[in-house]
Formats: sequence, C-alpha cells, structure tokens
Amino acid sequence: MSAALVGVLAYFALGMLGLVLARGRETAVVALVSGTISLALWAPAFPEGFVGDWPWGIAVAGDGWSLGIWGLALFLHATVLLHAWSRDSLGHSLITLLVGTCLAGSISRDLFNLYVVLEFSSLLSVILVAKEGRSAALWAALRYLILAGVGMTLYLFGLGLIYGRTGALAVSALARGGVFDTAVRVGAGLLLAGAAVKTGVFLLGLWLPQAHGQAPTEVSVLLSGLVVKLGVLTLARLAEAFPVGPALLSLGVISGVGGMLYALRETDLKILLGHSTVSQLGFMLLGLGLGAEFGALIYAVAHGLGKGLLFLSAGEAVERRGTRTISELAKGVPWPAVLGLALGAWALVGLPPLAGFTAKACLGANQPLWAKAFLLLLGVGTAAYLARLLPLFRGGTGDGRLGGVLLLSSGILALGVWGFVGNRDLYAWPVWIEAPLTAGAGFLVDLFLRTKSWPLPKLSLEYALLATLLVAVALSASFLVL
Amino acid sequence: MESLSALALAVASAALGMWAMVVRRNLVWKLLGLNVASGGGILFLVALSHRTGARPPIVGLGPGPAADALPQALVLTAIVIHFATLALALALVIVLTEHRHTQDSRKLEER
Repeated sequence: MSAALVGVLAYFALGMLGLVLARGRETAVVALVSGTISLALWAPAFPEGFVGDWPWGIAVAGDGWSLGIWGLALFLHATVLLHAWSRDSLGHSLITLLVGTCLAGSISRDLFNLYVVLEFSSLLSVILVAKEGRSAALWAALRYLILAGVGMTLYLFGLGLIYGRTGALAVSALARGGVFDTAVRVGAGLLLAGAAVKTGVFLLGLWLPQAHGQAPTEVSVLLSGLVVKLGVLTLARLAEAFPVGPALLSLGVISGVGGMLYALRETDLKILLGHSTVSQLGFMLLGLGLGAEFGALIYAVAHGLGKGLLFLSAGEAVERRGTRTISELAKGVPWPAVLGLALGAWALVGLPPLAGFTAKACLGANQPLWAKAFLLLLGVGTAAYLARLLPLFRGGTGDGRLGGVLLLSSGILALGVWGFVGNRDLYAWPVWIEAPLTAGAGFLVDLFLRTKSWPLPKLSLEYALLATLLVAVALSASFLVL
Repeated sequence: MESLSALALAVASAALGMWAMVVRRNLVWKLLGLNVASGGGILFLVALSHRTGARPPIVGLGPGPAADALPQALVLTAIVIHFATLALALALVIVLTEHRHTQDSRKLEER
C-alpha cells in the first residue's frame, strides 16, 4: 500500500514542482520513472488498507482495475512525453498532475475520495483543453466544465443520501452492508448519473465529443485514453457497492447506439473519434452490466491504447495539414499518421492479432445470445464509422513524427499477443470467423449509408443539460420502481 | 424538524439552480445557477449531520451528543472545489467574451 501511495504523492509533488520551477518536462520524466518503480513494487495487487485512522480513514486497495489503469496511465504518459516533448512546460506539468489524479483514483475505494478525484481531473482537463486559446476549444472546455459541475452536484446529493442512511462511504463497507432501501436506491441512482456524466455516457455527458475533438493532440490522447477510464472505474466501483447491473446495461446500450449514430454522420475527423469514444463506452458498460468485469477492464485498456493511437495520428495529421474535415485531409496525410490511423482502426475493429481482438473475445465469452448479438451489432457499427477513414489511407505525403505512433503500436500488439498466451477463449474458431466478417459487414454498411442521410438533433448545451437532468431523474425513479 | 426544512431547502435550491441553467441563455446566469445548485448540495450534507439537541462537533465544548463531524469535513473540501470550478469557469467566460463578443450560449453554439 505504501509503495502505491508514495508513487501517487511523487506524481503530485513533481507536477507541482514543475509548475513552480517552470520545468515541466524534466519533472514529468522523474515522475514517470518513480511511478513505474512504485508500480513494480506493489504489482499485481495489495490488500485493502486505510489512509488515516479508523473510522474516518480513506480505504485504498490495489486490484485488477488499479493495475490496468496504472499500466495504461504510465504507458500513455510516456507516449505523450515522447510525442509532445517540444510543447510548453506548463502543459507537461498539468499533464503530470492529471496522470497523478488518475493513479490516485484507481486505488481509491472511497466514494467521497472518488468525488474529489473526479472533480480534480475535470478541472485539469478543462485547463488543458482550453490551453491554446482557440475559441472553439474554449467553448468546448466551458461546456465540459458546466456539464461536469451538474453531474458532480447530482453525485454530491447521492453521496449525502447514501451516507445519511448507511453511515458508510467505503465501497467494501457498502457492499457488506447490503442495505438497498428507498433512500439508498435514490442515492445510488444519483451517484450513477453523476459518474456517468463525468464518464461521457450518451445523453448524460454530451460534452465529450466536442471537448475531446477540440483539445490539442496530446491532451486528446490522454482524455480519451485515460480520463474516460477513470469514469468507467468509478462506475465499476458503484457496481461493486450496489446492485445496479441492469441500469449500467441500459446506459451501455444507449451510449453504444447513440455514439454510433453521430459518428456515422460526422465530417470532422477528431470529433468523429470523440463520438466513437462514446460508442465504445457502450462495450465497457455492457461488460460491467453483464458482470464480465474482467472483459470490461481489458476492453478499457485496449480502447485506451487504440483510441490513444487514433487521436495521436489524427492530431498529427490535423496539425500538419491545418484542416480538420476528412474530405480535405484525404488530399494528403503524413505517412506516420497514416500508419497510426490504420493500426488504430485495425485494433478498434477487433481484427487479430491486435488488442481489440483480445478485448472483444474476453468481453463476449460466456455471454447470453442477445448480448453477443448486440455486441456484434456495435462491432459492425464500429467498423462502419471507421471505414469512413479509408480515404485517408490513399497514400502518405511529407514527413511526420513517428516516435509516439511506434510506442503505442507496440503496446497494442503486446496486449494482443498477451491475450493468446493467457486466454483459452481466443482459440475458439467462431471468434476468428466473426472478426473479419464484422469488419466486412461494417464496410458494406458504410457503402450503403453513404448515399443516405438522416436528421440528428444538434447537441447544444441546453439540450445536453436537459438530457442530463431527465436521465438522472429517470435513473433514480427506475431504481425506486424496479 | 429544522433538519427536515433544511433538507427541503437544499433540494429546492438545487432544483432552482438547475432550472436557471437550462432556461437562461446568458453564461453568467448559467454559472450563477450552477453555484446555487451546488450550494444546495453543500446545505444537504450539512443538514444531514444535524442531530436534535446536539452541540457543534468541537473537542472540549462540553458533554452531550455532538453533530456528525464527517459531513462537515466533506463539505469543506466540496466548497473549495466549487470555488475553483466557478473561478475557472468565469475566467473562461472572460476569454470567450473577448473572442466572440457575446455571452449568449445559443450564439456561441453556432459558428
């Protein structure tokens, strides 16, 4: 336990030191090294302990989720450092603090501590999104801040109800207590809604595509790769404390389909990837709702690496070419970005032998037939909107930076290969037929849909606020009735 | 009884704040609404720590039952976070106004 805590504290202290001394790059490297040493010391797990005295101590423990998030966080931080080394030192200090926040959140097993971590991560993310001062990015950042504020207010009310009724805030104590009466039901609904807003689930957290799309390259990588997973982790902790499986299942369905519909219509490359993150959240929430926690974790890590690579390459292409729409970019993309986009799409669609294949096989194993069918539908959707990137692969031009792309690609390949060593589900032949069929079906669906158009409501701030509040009320009410 | 009316007031101010956020188009009004709503959340936690006839939870204040100290500790943290959020949001509004010369959320939405 102390090894992990020292790692987290080192991250925070070095991030602050970088801000004070204006030496963000150097302190980030030291933080990365100390975080890696700390992970090596506590891995693969440590038992639950308390920071501070009982009964008011904060429960911390290292489990599979902590291990996955730490690995992902350190890997993505290394990539961002390598790729954006020449960026300003302020950004590197803030990124160090943001990664430290995610490390802290992943070992926390206390609902209020998670609230503080979520709030801190949204404050840092907002500053990082708005950092370059483009007006579209400023507006996206403010939308993020306002919607996250609403979500966290809902979370605070839920927290109050739970604490007032059970007198406990630690996840394990709540799970042991097993109280699920009126007050706790409404409270759990509000907690779930608040965490879902922060995660960016469709209808609840409509800030996500704009904020992730408008952020600078290295910030998009971290937001979509890592910070979203902090929200998923909070939802996983809530699923541990309360019986909220069906609610997570329905949120997963909504998010998967909603994100897919918008991604199929979007013309801006980075915002398309943002909608795709919303859709991919559907897979993780379905996994959590179906009780396949390991599958959801592997999917979260695989998506973090794959979407990180996609955002890294897309950001590189957008920065080099100075345009954001796919049709404009198709006239020529730097070849490292072409490589990254192709590999990232390959991984996300779930073709062997990359990480997405492993993740989809872990998620789909031993599920009921309807769940498998729905996962397949989402998989076809994923392939369909990623097929819209095909014009970008026509041939690379010019030079670009290769370092970050290579590092992330090797991570994706390593996770894919690891799956073959550790997992028997991957050798079942239906999985091998399913993957290319899904990709092919997605390609055909995209060809078919190119000629069609359907109206989608614009996701303005007022609609987003209203949707957030309505779904939060509906979630709490559904817990009361069912 | 006081505790019940405080709880009702907390829920009412949260609802009022959220209402203002949805219907007002001016960003400063929206942020005021957010602040009223999160103030409701804070009042909610404080009201929960109330016990009938209890003294404030301060060591050495005398015998008798004390109010629950934990929600009050949580509230301190929450207040600091809300302050930071509001400060950052207002700073963003200032920069955004310089760029776009409007604080109307509907005009900011179209480009």
